[in-house]
Amino acid sequence: MTKIVAEAVDVVKTLGHGAGKVQALRGVSLALAGGELALLMGPSGSGKTTLLSILGCILSPTSGTVRVCGQSTANMQPEDMAQVRRDHVGFIFQSYHLFPTLTAADNVRVALDVRGERSRSAIGKTKEALATVGLGRKMKSFPRELSGGEQQRVAIARAIVGNPSVILADEPTSALDSENGQAIMTVLAQIAREQSRGVLVVTHDPRIFPFANRIIRIEDGRIVGEEKGRAGLS
Amino acid sequence: MPWQNVMSLIFKLSWRNLFHDRLRFVATVIGIVFSIVLVTVQMGLFLSFERMVTAMIDRASADLWIVPRDAKCFEDPSFVDERERFRALSINGVAEALPIVIGFAQWRLPSGGTTPVFIVSSDTRVGGLRPWNVVEGNLADLAVPGAVAIDQSYFDRLGTTGLGARAEIRDQKVEVMAVTKGIRAFTTTPYVFTSLDQARAFVGTPPNKTTYFLVRLVPGANVQSTRSQLRAVLSESEVLTPDEFRRRSRSFWLFGTGAGAALFAGALLGMIVGTVVVAQTLYSSTKDHLNEFATLRAIGSSAKYIHKVIIFQALLSAVIGFCIAAGIGLIIVDATAESALPVIMTPMMTLGLLLLTIIMCVMSATSAIVKVMRIDPAMVFTR
Repeated sequence: MTKIVAEAVDVVKTLGHGAGKVQALRGVSLALAGGELALLMGPSGSGKTTLLSILGCILSPTSGTVRVCGQSTANMQPEDMAQVRRDHVGFIFQSYHLFPTLTAADNVRVALDVRGERSRSAIGKTKEALATVGLGRKMKSFPRELSGGEQQRVAIARAIVGNPSVILADEPTSALDSENGQAIMTVLAQIAREQSRGVLVVTHDPRIFPFANRIIRIEDGRIVGEEKGRAGLS
Repeated sequence: MPWQNVMSLIFKLSWRNLFHDRLRFVATVIGIVFSIVLVTVQMGLFLSFERMVTAMIDRASADLWIVPRDAKCFEDPSFVDERERFRALSINGVAEALPIVIGFAQWRLPSGGTTPVFIVSSDTRVGGLRPWNVVEGNLADLAVPGAVAIDQSYFDRLGTTGLGARAEIRDQKVEVMAVTKGIRAFTTTPYVFTSLDQARAFVGTPPNKTTYFLVRLVPGANVQSTRSQLRAVLSESEVLTPDEFRRRSRSFWLFGTGAGAALFAGALLGMIVGTVVVAQTLYSSTKDHLNEFATLRAIGSSAKYIHKVIIFQALLSAVIGFCIAAGIGLIIVDATAESALPVIMTPMMTLGLLLLTIIMCVMSATSAIVKVMRIDPAMVFTR
């Protein structure tokens, strides 16, 4: 049986106050399994990023239950949520969010540094993560010296270096051309398949459908459909 | 180098954040340097002033001082009756009670005008409070009628050319028989050392009066017990230890006159300026790097990790700013060494300034930390 790495049960999230109050999620339930690459699709304002943030322990749900690697996030303080992120979640952002003053290697190592990993093995893990995304030769390059695709690969290396069970990616290919987008998705699919991690990708990009095991559709804060992706069928 | 590879990235992030905008970094350092130099000068002057106001008490070889009741400082020219001396000598444990006469007088310049001087005298045979750092002439010559000792830094003020020069004090002829170096008065009125009898004549002290008695005890005598006995028999004067007399003089000149408060106010102003400059720069640097801090938070860093990055930035600014300020401080110390009120820097003061700089910079980091504490890591999805 496939292990569930992240799970939302009947999650409701209300954002804002007073007249500006918006119900971003209206009872969403979703389970992400290890080894699976799932796409979360929906129009703007449908609640995709809010759901990603809740599954990634960046936001707390207004009601409902969230479990990451079996651990419930109910009543957690911000520092406890940070601990869960550190231990179990890797993030990939649309605009990479690399540190412009650090090299590619340091940008990856920072994910270990925040966990207090500063032994020589941290260097080994960093090299390994960069090699996995095909950037073994660009360790000393600064983000400004890398192409968009390469920068996103550094971001992926940063997300996987701590060996998290859950990888959450927010529009990882939207800033990239088709070729680079395909390359990034190939890496993500490989990470999900070979390392038994659950990868959830928020996207609008239909070009990446072939990489998905599952495609989940969300609208107005509700899951409105789910289908197997081409990778799931094969 | 291999050791660099395992060093925490906190230091690297701080360093790079700080140097990322060089112009802002230079502005920060200038702010710190300005602030610390200002504090150094004010505190250096304070120390210098503190030493100068007690120079005479420090140089007198006294176990106790008999001073006029409510004397505010060494330069307070009130009188003590000579009978107090005999009362003091009647106490077991008192070896000597040496009279000291001080007071203001007018020094007639060769050009015809006059300038005020401060007369200091003691018995030239037994000493008690004699000039020090004599560079020309002989102290024994002060016993010669009309002999005075002056400091070489006041030659111009007193219109003299040095040893052997003649002048008049209160219509009495005097001759410079000894020249000292570095005995400067903080009041800017030059000290003139002379014999006891001449001093009485110069400042108009009656023969049966004196300003102070400098008490020396017999070896082994208990200072506190002798002091209590002296207090019991001396009705018109007070008995102070040298430390008490120093404290009283300092208190009067530094705080009674407002001079110390002015120096402290200057130092405080420097600290406030420095704190505001550093706080403003750190805040604006943090604001510029907010996205990076939010990323750190999103990838699971603790709040403590981010605080460390900001505090390291503050510490780096502090150390760099302090080193430059200390260098400028040493130049000022050297440049003012021969002036009327030299700026003094002691190792303790330098250490204190380093701590002050660090505290100032870390306090300045507070506003930046408050800003970071309000970061919503979810902002990484919206930018």
